[in-house]
Amino acid sequence: MSSSLLITCGAEPTRGSGTTPEVVAHFLESLIQPFGFFQPTHGLLGELNLLRGMKSLLSPSQHLEFESVQQLAQAISDLDSISIALRHMDSEEFAIWCGLGRNNARTHLLQLIGEMNQARNRIQGAQLQLDFMHNRPSAKALFRSLTQLALVGVVCESRQLQQAWLMSTETSLSKKWISKFESIKVFSGYGVLLEVEALRFVFRVKWKGVGECEPAIGLFRNQLVIDVGGVRSFVELPAACSRMEPGTVRLSKNKFEIDLSVKESEWPRS
Amino acid sequence: MSDENNDKKSSSDLGSWLNSMGAPVSITELVPSEITGLDIAPILSMLGGVGIKSGVRGAQAGDATADEIRWLPVLRG
Repeated sequence: MSSSLLITCGAEPTRGSGTTPEVVAHFLESLIQPFGFFQPTHGLLGELNLLRGMKSLLSPSQHLEFESVQQLAQAISDLDSISIALRHMDSEEFAIWCGLGRNNARTHLLQLIGEMNQARNRIQGAQLQLDFMHNRPSAKALFRSLTQLALVGVVCESRQLQQAWLMSTETSLSKKWISKFESIKVFSGYGVLLEVEALRFVFRVKWKGVGECEPAIGLFRNQLVIDVGGVRSFVELPAACSRMEPGTVRLSKNKFEIDLSVKESEWPRS
Repeated sequence: MSDENNDKKSSSDLGSWLNSMGAPVSITELVPSEITGLDIAPILSMLGGVGIKSGVRGAQAGDATADEIRWLPVLRG
């Protein structure tokens, strides 16, 4: 998948007030209005202080600038988190309590979710450009940031990295670091549920090098959460997992497995 | 920790936020707890740049946020 989007990391973004994406403003206005205790004004909506990264990702601009690779990874993680929260809002009773059937609020909610999905697709296909002329991180810090970026599904080409490094220091990256950076693989976002024995399962997720980045692993409703330094990726679990009790996570170099057990009373088998 | 920070932390779930904004208590009592416990930190950040941390790992009991992520014990092989 490719898009015409160019993302630059390491360059100081252009300062400015910016504007709130219209769809976000519509959604918030519609969501809040039915409660009757908070009357949003155009002034307020115009001054929404969206997280800079989120605002950038939702903007239609063909060239986005981020201060660092880490900031880009965090913005994508935030986008995914909010997208999941909004989908939950739409799918549950909260939608009714908020009066989402009125005031076109649900229309705006779905539009916002759609915009987020589109933004995600653009990011996946974007060309990433690194610029360390003003601020170059250490190789160690950069390794962690690029791992976070890989966790949210964005790849950084080794050639691009080496070029940016050379331009900032006039010193080439060592072979050791080149090899380490090339070992970073993009997380596929998939896992499989395997039956180990009767009533015992494991959910296995493969990601090359996962054991070296010390992730925290958790569950949020029907989502598996993989967290590396605050940057999160989500994997939707099979519906069957909702009737299983999670145990420990066994983490090895290139995969991790979550033990899951079934309470027979909740899942009778013939 | 300042009172301001405490206020920010305590309003990171939907129920607390609705109450703090003046919503009738009857609304939050009727909405299921998993919904009122939904972490709205990202949305609040959009509303006014409120500096609430979302789902902080290893936080003390008083710092726990309500996004309901259940962190699992990890055994390294």
